[in-house]
Amino acid sequence: MLELRQVSFAYPQFTAVRDISLTVEPGEFTAIVGKNGSGKTTLTRLMMSLLKPSHGQILLNGQDTKKLLPADLATTIGYVFQNPDRQILRDTVEQEIAYGPQQLGFSPDRQQKNVQMAMEVCGLAELAQAYPRSLSKGCKQRLAIASVLALEPQMLILDEPTSGQDATDKDKMMKLLADLNNQGLTIILVTHDMEILMQYAQRVIVLNAGNMVFDGTPNDLFMDNNPIAAWGLQVPTILHLSQKLAKYGIPATNSADRLCQSLLGPMEDKQL
Amino acid sequence: MRRYAPLTKLILTIIISIWAILFDSPAILAGVAGLQLLLLAITRVSTTVYKGILGLVMFALMLAVMQYLFGATISLALVTGLRMLNMTLIFIIMLASTRISDITAALVKQCRIPSDYAFMFTAALRFIPDFLEESKAVREAQSCRGYSSRGNAFKRMKSYLTVVEPLVLRAVTKSETMAMSLELRGFGSQRQQASLAHVALHGRDYILISLTTLVTLALIINKLQPIGF
Amino acid sequence: MKPAIEFNGFSYAYRQDKLALNNIQVSIPKGSFTVITGPSGAGKTTLCLAIAGAVPQYFGGSVAGNVQVNQTDTRNISMHDLALHVGSVLQDYESQLVAMTVEEEIAFGLENMGMAEHDIQERVRRVLQRVGLEGLEQREVSSLSGGQKQRLAIAGVLVLEPEIIVLDEPTSALDPQGAVQIYELLHTLNSQGVTVVVVEHDLSQVLSYAQQVLVIHEGKLLYCGTLSEVLPCMIDYPELQTAMPILWQVKLQLEEALERKFADWRSVEDAKQDIVRFIMQNKGVCRSA
Repeated sequence: MLELRQVSFAYPQFTAVRDISLTVEPGEFTAIVGKNGSGKTTLTRLMMSLLKPSHGQILLNGQDTKKLLPADLATTIGYVFQNPDRQILRDTVEQEIAYGPQQLGFSPDRQQKNVQMAMEVCGLAELAQAYPRSLSKGCKQRLAIASVLALEPQMLILDEPTSGQDATDKDKMMKLLADLNNQGLTIILVTHDMEILMQYAQRVIVLNAGNMVFDGTPNDLFMDNNPIAAWGLQVPTILHLSQKLAKYGIPATNSADRLCQSLLGPMEDKQL
Repeated sequence: MRRYAPLTKLILTIIISIWAILFDSPAILAGVAGLQLLLLAITRVSTTVYKGILGLVMFALMLAVMQYLFGATISLALVTGLRMLNMTLIFIIMLASTRISDITAALVKQCRIPSDYAFMFTAALRFIPDFLEESKAVREAQSCRGYSSRGNAFKRMKSYLTVVEPLVLRAVTKSETMAMSLELRGFGSQRQQASLAHVALHGRDYILISLTTLVTLALIINKLQPIGF
Repeated sequence: MKPAIEFNGFSYAYRQDKLALNNIQVSIPKGSFTVITGPSGAGKTTLCLAIAGAVPQYFGGSVAGNVQVNQTDTRNISMHDLALHVGSVLQDYESQLVAMTVEEEIAFGLENMGMAEHDIQERVRRVLQRVGLEGLEQREVSSLSGGQKQRLAIAGVLVLEPEIIVLDEPTSALDPQGAVQIYELLHTLNSQGVTVVVVEHDLSQVLSYAQQVLVIHEGKLLYCGTLSEVLPCMIDYPELQTAMPILWQVKLQLEEALERKFADWRSVEDAKQDIVRFIMQNKGVCRSA
């Protein structure tokens, strides 16, 4: 549904994204990872038409987005910025979510229906009248998602939505995204979190200094001899441990439970 | 320009502003503006400053055109535009060639302005790039949620107003944290005084200040008793 | 040894209605590496601000008990004088930055300390290198990325060489390698005698360094102790369970199943050694059986 053809983008001082070609299919859960400054955010901004490529072409459902504004894409792609504070525009949660549908002239019925749906999906129903700026960071981030969901997009692009959140909020956020993905929404997630990557993404794109250096499954990323550290990444803890135990017959896994099973398994067998 | 003390540049800013008001010939005002641009060129500043100046020139031009359209003579319209340009140019040159903390130091120690007020002034300056960035962020957020700037001027004005509220609220929280950060980083401590040696005036500062002051005085006297200039 | 920081029955409320901190009693030894953790809104940030004196001096509010830094009540010393001993990196690192360029930003604190200009330049260069921002001296702060701003905020505090450094989520905007780099740097400073206090959600980042862990929950100090004392207790609270480092999830699961204790797993390498030892013993047992 989204296709990048040899896309480059240069700021006055440096080239942020270099010659990237890729296709995102409907229903995918794709993670974009890489060092700080590797071009992740620039790439997603290009996808949303917040930036225009210096070279190359971006096609959304077959249409070139060159002449389109982010507003034209809003009913197809929901874009969630890294800092939730910067995208709060109104004074109650309900109004905030209704902003998009109002701008796009949805009928009152459809507005109300979508706002209700978005609040329920994102677990904000009880906060409908709350003041968005005083919510917790996790809530604000879910509100940002609700606000774009109300536009009925086919795809979500999220820029580090879990940074600075505690484990519980992070879990909630990721379960929400996984649910939305199961319902058919395409998800593109910029993240630094390797555990999230392993657990949720079907596909990983690694950027390094503006170049796409890897495009494949999370397993392949960490299994093959890729220069993980040079790309600013880290092998997820349990996978790392199980890899170190490979010569003792322990299969590679990133699940704590599975690792324990394979460690305890042989002993219990012997005991029987 | 970088070699002159911050106080000298502050005084120069005031003096050039006075000139801009005193002169009423487009040619002389244009000359002053030209001189300032020359000064800017030898000061070596970042490209963002040049961009800002380009914006200013455009704004001055617009101001002149507006004046003309509203019935002023060409000469008066030009004078208004050039005055605005001259005053803002010197201000920008001062900012681009001086470290903000030095301006604060000069205001506090040499102009005897209470440090809180002086810092308010410089913090306001520090806020400008932040403010621009924030307003861009808010507009981007709006646009990702379906707002488009296409449409009539009224609609555009109305949506521009909706940027203001989130922007102001963000600025308020941000300035609170910043004020706390200042304290946490030792601002206002007694030891600060020792670090003021580098804002002190030198020979070249005195020369520049006296020269420009003399010229200004001459101009004022000339203005009061027009004996042909 | 005398503690660097001491909370004596400290309670605090920003406004009348709700206690942000509730009767905190804890002492942070000089030269220790202390990690504060707990769910969002538990009071971790308030705790940091109390060490820096901003709570209550900047925020007002009501206080009971006291906080002592180097045996001085934080209410009896001005925030900027306390800043000579305690360096703070705020959670909102973007708002912490006050200058226009990278160089000015770092020089700001040094100038406030009264350092001469020629000493400043050398220090600025060195600290930028330490945090991985070398060569960016002249860049405007507003043109930096989030990660770079966070490093700059840390550099601006480190350059003052305070005896105590308090950092509130210092790696939230950094990539995994960048986060490791910052923690390694803090570890080095700590081994040179600096007291480090850091708020961190992701305990797996600090397993190798933490000497003391404080768990804050709804304004109260829930646990305080070493990793092996504190982590196993976190299972009792649903909000804290999720924060258990995944490596320790394996450790605790194995310990329970095998009814034995492993050493503190501070790294994947530690875990590997313990597990290999266990596998070997197990093989031995099987053979002899």
